[in-house]
Amino acid sequence: MNTEIELKLQSYLDGELPAREAKQVEGLTQADPAARALFGELQTTRAALRGNELERTLPESREFYWSKIERAILAAEQAGERRASSFGLGWLVRYWPQFSGAAVAVVLLIAGATQFNWFSSPGWDEIENTLDDSGSFTFRSEQNRMTLVWVSSHPQAEQDEDGELVN
Amino acid sequence: MAARKKDYTAMSDEMLVRSAQRGDMRAFEELVARHRDKVYARAFSMMRNEDDAVDISQEAWVKGWQRLKQFQGESSFLTWMTRIVINLCLDALRKQKRQRAESVEEMEEESGGVERQMPVVTPNPTAGLERSELRQRIDKALNQLSYEHRTVLILHEFEELEYKEIAKRMQCSIGTVMSRLFYARRKMAALMASYKKTELAP
Repeated sequence: MNTEIELKLQSYLDGELPAREAKQVEGLTQADPAARALFGELQTTRAALRGNELERTLPESREFYWSKIERAILAAEQAGERRASSFGLGWLVRYWPQFSGAAVAVVLLIAGATQFNWFSSPGWDEIENTLDDSGSFTFRSEQNRMTLVWVSSHPQAEQDEDGELVN
Repeated sequence: MAARKKDYTAMSDEMLVRSAQRGDMRAFEELVARHRDKVYARAFSMMRNEDDAVDISQEAWVKGWQRLKQFQGESSFLTWMTRIVINLCLDALRKQKRQRAESVEEMEEESGGVERQMPVVTPNPTAGLERSELRQRIDKALNQLSYEHRTVLILHEFEELEYKEIAKRMQCSIGTVMSRLFYARRKMAALMASYKKTELAP
């Protein structure tokens, strides 16, 4: 008897064989004593196993067993919540170089636009500007691609017509 | 007026599942209390180790809680939980197998080298046994099978899964399932017969 026939005998026993092949195998079990004996052994083993699994009882008390499950559930839920809440700041931490670079660029753009009126005077090269009211002084170099802003805490000294300091 | 305290022990599995799906952990605790032995027993039958079985069964309950909303009631709750614990056992067994070198015997079993030579067992080695004794012998024999053969027997004879479903769970072909089941049955028959002979010997 070859492996194919052995496995067909088993498939027949388990009801997994198509009807046409099942008829052939049925005939084989009647005609071939070896096939009949093997089929009998498989049938007996299957019948012995079905419904005869050894019953087992958990070796832990209900309270102890459940307490470990409950702790694991709560720990997993807390970990999930932490992940969810840290996501809000997480992206800021992860992308802070890009974020800070963009913020600086926006500040410079606004400062440049308000101080130099870039959009209406595109032809300038270097500009110096003093803001007497606020006590600040701005220097912009297009060649060096930079803008410097000084802010003074002291009022700027007044000058007379000859450029001499008055006080 | 104070709300009436729920009597979980009087509730059906379906009612407990619905409560647990709404976040009632006490309802889930009652489900665990009802089915913990069965879930543990399935883990033990596959792992053959008490500590592993306890740990894996608890992991299964945690997963059960986390996936409870996915349970639609197509099968019983116990069947659903049993499937979860079986999958966790299969993962653990695959991991264990990767970690240890396979024995020569296992390789022979895989190819059917040992069982194909075995004579057919007659008469029925389980005839006349008390049910409890039969169960003890089956368990003893299962312990002597490789995990692949034992698992395929458990899934087919105890869980009553079809070849196709077993193949899916064990991540192998239907042909492999048929072959493993055949050799596992033959070896079980031989082992059961050997116990009978030993015990009848003077």
